[in-house]
Amino acid sequence: MTVTNPAIPSARVADEPSTTERRPRNPFKRFWPQYVAVAPFYILFLVFGMFPLIFSIWLSFNDWDGMGQMKFVGLAQYRFLITDSRFWLAVGNTFLIWIMSTIPMLFLALVIAFLLHTNIRAKGFYRVAFFIPNVTSAVAMAIVFGSIFSNSFGIINSFLNWLHVSQVPWLSNPWGIKVVIAVMVIWRWTGYNSIIYLAGLQAVSTELYEAARVDGANNWHIFSRITIPMLRPVILFTVITSTVGGLSLFTEPQVLFGNTSNIGGPADGGLTIVLYQYYQAFNQFDFGYGAAIAWALFIIAVVFAIINWRLVSEREVDGQKVFKVSRKQRAANASAEPTEVAAK
Amino acid sequence: MAFSRRSLLAGTAGLGALAAGGLSACGSRTSISSDPNELVIWYWDRSIDPALLSIAAKQIPGTQRHLRADIIGGSFDTKLRTSLAGNAYIPDLTNINSNVSLYFPNEDMFLDLDELGAQNYKHLYFDWKWELGVTPTNHFRFFPLDTGPTGFYYRQDVFDKAKIPSDPESVGAAMKTWDEFIELGQKLKRNVGSFMDITAGQLFGQYINASPQRYFDKAGKPLYMNQTSTIRDAWNMAVKAIKAGITGNQQVSTDQNAAWESGKTAGHIEAVWWAQILGDTAPDTKGKWRLAKQPVRAGNSGGSFICIPHTCKDPEAAFKFITWLNNPQNQAQAFNNIQLFPSAEDSFTLGTMKSNTGFFGDQDPLTFFLEAAKEVPTSFISTYEAQAAFFGTEITNVEAAGKNPDRAWDDAVAQTNKILRKRGVNV
Repeated sequence: MTVTNPAIPSARVADEPSTTERRPRNPFKRFWPQYVAVAPFYILFLVFGMFPLIFSIWLSFNDWDGMGQMKFVGLAQYRFLITDSRFWLAVGNTFLIWIMSTIPMLFLALVIAFLLHTNIRAKGFYRVAFFIPNVTSAVAMAIVFGSIFSNSFGIINSFLNWLHVSQVPWLSNPWGIKVVIAVMVIWRWTGYNSIIYLAGLQAVSTELYEAARVDGANNWHIFSRITIPMLRPVILFTVITSTVGGLSLFTEPQVLFGNTSNIGGPADGGLTIVLYQYYQAFNQFDFGYGAAIAWALFIIAVVFAIINWRLVSEREVDGQKVFKVSRKQRAANASAEPTEVAAK
Repeated sequence: MAFSRRSLLAGTAGLGALAAGGLSACGSRTSISSDPNELVIWYWDRSIDPALLSIAAKQIPGTQRHLRADIIGGSFDTKLRTSLAGNAYIPDLTNINSNVSLYFPNEDMFLDLDELGAQNYKHLYFDWKWELGVTPTNHFRFFPLDTGPTGFYYRQDVFDKAKIPSDPESVGAAMKTWDEFIELGQKLKRNVGSFMDITAGQLFGQYINASPQRYFDKAGKPLYMNQTSTIRDAWNMAVKAIKAGITGNQQVSTDQNAAWESGKTAGHIEAVWWAQILGDTAPDTKGKWRLAKQPVRAGNSGGSFICIPHTCKDPEAAFKFITWLNNPQNQAQAFNNIQLFPSAEDSFTLGTMKSNTGFFGDQDPLTFFLEAAKEVPTSFISTYEAQAAFFGTEITNVEAAGKNPDRAWDDAVAQTNKILRKRGVNV
């Protein structure tokens, strides 16, 4: 900070005497144009971001149908939540779908990125082709997948029939539903993750690979001993983003089962946490309970954030060298600061 | 440099002030239109005849006001409820779909139409439809628009192939009870492998739609736990249908549409409006479908209402619009233009209604559904039925996941009661 922007403190020092002597003004009066300049964002954020956030906390302690009188019920919504088997089913479904999608997806993405990184023809074409599913409308996709996995008329079951394997009732069996949703997630996000891995791979110095080759390492050794360890921070990033995506899974099951008699599909096989929250708030008009589910999801997300954070800090201990350098830098910054304080 | 920075700051400051001003200008206005002569109605596509709306847009007949019609897209209820809760931008009139009981707990938000003279019009409409607009406290607040009398749609060609009765009269005669319906379905299944309907949940729902008693009485007391109840009977029938294998376990619309097209599902109990959907999804089956009386009696599925929010700036004019929109001539015209099935019985005797286009061969669907509409029993739909959806969910679990029916029933009752207790109902 101080190194890149030395002009600011000195400029302040320049007009300091005149202002302090004649008219001592509070900082708001002095900097009001700047405050006004940044105001649009904060005003919009207050209205459309902060207010709903705070209101949803208040809402979760109330009973409200979105229209009549609000009734304060204390922790009753949360007490109900803990005993609500359907909520726990949704939590279980969310994690099952997350595991069923994330693990194969990241593995596939890594393999694809590794292949794209090698010298092949039409590299650019493949990169675009793998990324296209990510920019496809999720709604259109869910409709297409609904047809592909259709129980009695889908192409998958026709294929199984042709192989003389017994057909799977994909869209009415709770496990089939989870597989379909996981496949949709995989299809949509594998390309995205492989592009990120590819960027990570390109940052790995080729010298490491060359040295390994000289030492007689084969492809698998290079992949497992060099590529994966060097990619660790990138892998961590993709794990975190897919956790966020997995916990907030909504569109796919909603489009598949939104207009059937039961929002989660047969036996609630596709009921995810966010879908259940939406159902309680906007179908059952139980806004208090919907808000409570949202905050329960927040707590689950916090737990995951802590786990992720632990993984990250573990890395810092491993790579002590990186850590020390940054500490030295911090020390350098700290020694530069006193002059600034004195100038004020 | 200094100048351009200053003007930049001034510019953004101006923008900031504009944003703040714009937001504060959102100060509440109860009515959505500030024009005193303009009444605003909220509706969704194909729920009011556009030709009639364009007449009212110039002048609502018999008044000095004119009408502005706003099409509200998805999540209609959420939007309407939000404006009512915020007491701002409320329309002067609004349509509400067949889930009208959702508004019963907040019925004071809508005017009692009897105070505007609704009783003078009561004789024009099917009794059962009129009663659906009466709240548990006996206020008539929701005026009839269209209706959805039900019948048994079936593929005559498939029935022929199965060598079972195939003309409407004898199909109806062969399934006067639900047991006979299941027996006929077993023959159909045995002979050609086709199903009588898509899901057991559909039969369960239509059984209830055709019954005078439903989940709750007017006082909100659950009836499904009684020794005998419609819900239990409907449940037993649906379980029997599952065991007999006459329903297709087609839970998703792609499966359902493909099955009707191919004849894998050769029947469906649904309302009159389904003919339109069927014609769009399976146009190649034109002429192969027929309509027969469903077991016991016809029911009602769907059909919307129109009502006046309490903030309406001219309730008399709004009510005049309602009665004009729904007079027998105009309901007949709405049927011709957008297939809204009338709730006014006289619409049918005017002779202006055009029957459909040969989708049912030589059978006239209009006469069929008029007869059905006369049979629909009067019933009461409670606001708590939205919380009783577990019965439908559980019957689906029996069909799709092979859950034990007795356990499924117990689970449905337990889950429903639990949610009802959460909502403050004594069960």
